[in-house]
Amino acid sequence: MRTERSLRIQVLGRNGKEIFKGGVEVPEEGTFSDLKGAIQRRNKKYYPDRQRITLPHQGQGRSAPIDSSKKLKDYVTTDRPQVIFKDLGPQVSYRSLFLFEYFGPLIIYPIFYFYPQVYTHFGLPKRTFVYPAQTYALYAWCFHYAKRELETLFVHRFSHATSPLANVYRNCIYYWAFAGFIGYSLNHPNYNPVGETQLYVGIVISIVSQLSNFYCHIILRNLRKSEGKHSHHIPHGFLFNSVTCANYTTEIMQWLGFNVATQTLAGYLFIASGTYIMTVWAVQKHSRLVKMFDGQDGRGKYPQRYVILPPFV
Amino acid sequence: MGLARAYLAVYNWVLFAGWSQILYSAVFALYTRGPPAVYEAVEKPLQIWQTAALLEIFNSIVGITSSPVTATLPQISSRVFITWGVLFSFPQVRDHWLVTSLILSWAVTEVIRYSFFGLKEVFGSPPRFLLWLRYTTFYVLYPTGICSEAGLIFVALPFMKETGLYSLRMPNKMNFGFDYYYASILAILAYIPGSPGMYSHMIRQRKKALGAKPKSVKET
Repeated sequence: MRTERSLRIQVLGRNGKEIFKGGVEVPEEGTFSDLKGAIQRRNKKYYPDRQRITLPHQGQGRSAPIDSSKKLKDYVTTDRPQVIFKDLGPQVSYRSLFLFEYFGPLIIYPIFYFYPQVYTHFGLPKRTFVYPAQTYALYAWCFHYAKRELETLFVHRFSHATSPLANVYRNCIYYWAFAGFIGYSLNHPNYNPVGETQLYVGIVISIVSQLSNFYCHIILRNLRKSEGKHSHHIPHGFLFNSVTCANYTTEIMQWLGFNVATQTLAGYLFIASGTYIMTVWAVQKHSRLVKMFDGQDGRGKYPQRYVILPPFV
Repeated sequence: MGLARAYLAVYNWVLFAGWSQILYSAVFALYTRGPPAVYEAVEKPLQIWQTAALLEIFNSIVGITSSPVTATLPQISSRVFITWGVLFSFPQVRDHWLVTSLILSWAVTEVIRYSFFGLKEVFGSPPRFLLWLRYTTFYVLYPTGICSEAGLIFVALPFMKETGLYSLRMPNKMNFGFDYYYASILAILAYIPGSPGMYSHMIRQRKKALGAKPKSVKET
């Protein structure tokens, strides 16, 4: 009878205390994926996506989790095999999160366009006229979110499989509340449109930006060979040659065009908050890439580029 | 570090004094003249000391205190909204009995809370009795305070509709419309998910401060 040699790994919490008494047994040639499976067998609520496994004594800052396909014996010390475990809480797949949060705006906004009874119910006047700007806005809005849904299904290659459940509430409130606020303002019976030139300038900017944004997403997709691999690459081609997060840049420009054409405070608040959030992400991504591609060990040196909003940052 | 502690000590003691005055005036007015007289007796100090509490949001953002912004911001915003956006703006609600329950809930809570933090800043740790009060009275005072707050907004609704105060109508250049009446309805609705969150935050804080409930020892 052949017995496979096994490894007994001590699983500690971040406070240093042992979580599973006696450690967890995995095959000697086992991977981190096997470890997560073994942990789940000890406590079935800890499905692998919920586990964050890192090595102890990592020094400053947040240690990165290790790719699940990597072998344990290459990372844990032989005299004292230990890992640090964190429960990330209930998880939802990123794909489901995106599909759900982008769905609300597709329903909520058109309600205000197609059902002006919503306004008269609250004592506002009857709508007598629909401006071209309002019709453009309906199409632009719905196209934007339909595009996001399709990209989530067919284009986006996620680096993390899941996101904490709490993000469902937070993200949906954000997108759905703004959809209501903007939809309400734009389709209001007392909506006051801008002049024709401004309308057309805005429309052109938004269309060019939407198409550019789609192309940026295709470029990003092709950087990554397949999903689940925590691979990072220097983006290149098209606007990425000058701006690290050109995808965010084009997204912001798209909303700028939309707001120039439709002019609502709600729309401008939306672009302001989105720009702030995306800038925070962009700065983090840019720093990560600069740190990773330091020119040593054949990794390539990250070129001088704008982060997200040339010529400012 | 010394400067932050001195600042917090002064802040907490000044607000303790302010809220003690409010509590005293409220109880005195209640006893001598009855519930409708409470607001008038506390109006000025209430406005000053409740508005001063905005500093606590600043303190938590900057990190001078360890309270999370997610706890201080909703609590203090709702207090300031009630003080200025309801009581000050709509005199018609001032003699409602909910004002009495509101002022008493707030004042008792704040007198305990500020003396607790005041003693903590000066002496390093508060007396056990005050610790217990701080992390136990909320069981009653949170529900009474929350019901009084939401209730008073509700009582003020008809007057908001009637006067159209703080509302902005369309058409205008930025295509922005704001209706204070409907915004206040949304505020009342926000108490529904918000309150359990705040209550469980306090329960968690209680466990940390007083320790988990000791297990009862079984005989056999």
